Amino acid sequence: MNFPMSFADISLWIAVMAIILLLTSELLTSSTGPLRNVGIDKRILRSLALALGMAFMTTVVMRFFNFA
Amino acid sequence: MKKLSSNEREEKKETTGIPSQPESDTQLAETVHLLQAQIRSLERQVQTVKRSPVQIGLVFAAPGILSLAISVLSQSQVLAFIGLGLTFWGALFILVRPVMYIRGTLLTTTSTPLYSTIDRVLNDIKCKGRGLYIPPSPKHLKVLKIGYAYLPEHLKGLEETVVFISAGSDTPTPLEEIATGKFMTKNPKGIVLIPPGSGLIEQLEKSAKTDFTEMSLEDLCTSLPQLIMETFQLAKEIDIRTENGQVHLKTTDSIFRSLYLDETLNSLKLLGCPLASAVGCAIAKATGKPVSLQKITTSPDARTIEVSYSLVEAQK
Repeated sequence: MNFPMSFADISLWIAVMAIILLLTSELLTSSTGPLRNVGIDKRILRSLALALGMAFMTTVVMRFFNFA
Repeated sequence: MKKLSSNEREEKKETTGIPSQPESDTQLAETVHLLQAQIRSLERQVQTVKRSPVQIGLVFAAPGILSLAISVLSQSQVLAFIGLGLTFWGALFILVRPVMYIRGTLLTTTSTPLYSTIDRVLNDIKCKGRGLYIPPSPKHLKVLKIGYAYLPEHLKGLEETVVFISAGSDTPTPLEEIATGKFMTKNPKGIVLIPPGSGLIEQLEKSAKTDFTEMSLEDLCTSLPQLIMETFQLAKEIDIRTENGQVHLKTTDSIFRSLYLDETLNSLKLLGCPLASAVGCAIAKATGKPVSLQKITTSPDARTIEVSYSLVEAQK
């Protein structure tokens, strides 16, 4: 029983999620309209987005050096 | 109690569906029934608002984990993607919990009694001077940073930013009396208060992990507006600029604007609202000089508030 996703699939998934989160956090923090009142902890969201971005970069580096 | 006219009664009935003064037992029962229905509806609304993000997160995460498990068993890539997505968003909803927000009006209503109390004190000792923000002793801060010594007991009053209001205008600052931590000074006559914005400035320093005493005035003018808007969203627009030795603060749609609509608060004109007071404290800390709040100008609806501060040179 193997996990049905390859390393490349996971890398792509992380990239998509990182883009979504980075866009959301940027829009929320810089917005002065109604979006500024969204009641979530924007700092955690931003840290998570950056962490996912870093995770994607790590997967890219790993694939580049054929670690995976 | 004011009696409603028949027209007003009809109007009220139309808007709420409840007769204002029930005339018979049946009508009374109907009214009670309607009110109970309204209470139930309001309770449902409150529950929706109060719904914990953990619950929402679990709603996402549970099917996600199930989907992941099935994907491993059935070797389905589609299910694995769905499962991964749902689990991730579930975890995200649990982690990115909403921070606690309060109504902005609460900030102003809780500040009003403070200003009213200061007004009483000012009226009692007939203070006519302006608010003078005295910075904390830089020596004390330096010593604290090294961490081996503190200010002696008789100079404890210089540990934090204070605001001095003199009884007369153009009087020297009684630094010695302030240093001893006095509330009322004798020579010259006046009072020493903790500024209304001291808590706010402390929070700003904590969230930015910075100390305004180590900042230059130019850096402060650039970073403080952004910090206030991003961290606490206390106003829609904030602009701080220096001009001819004066510092000008301009706020648009400040959360404290309703305070300025109250004409009776005289101390507000001397100290400024908590936001203006916090900026005064920050300027005093950054420059290490006493800062005098010169003028507060507001638009008729108080949407735009302009505050001018001037730096007071040290007395020789």
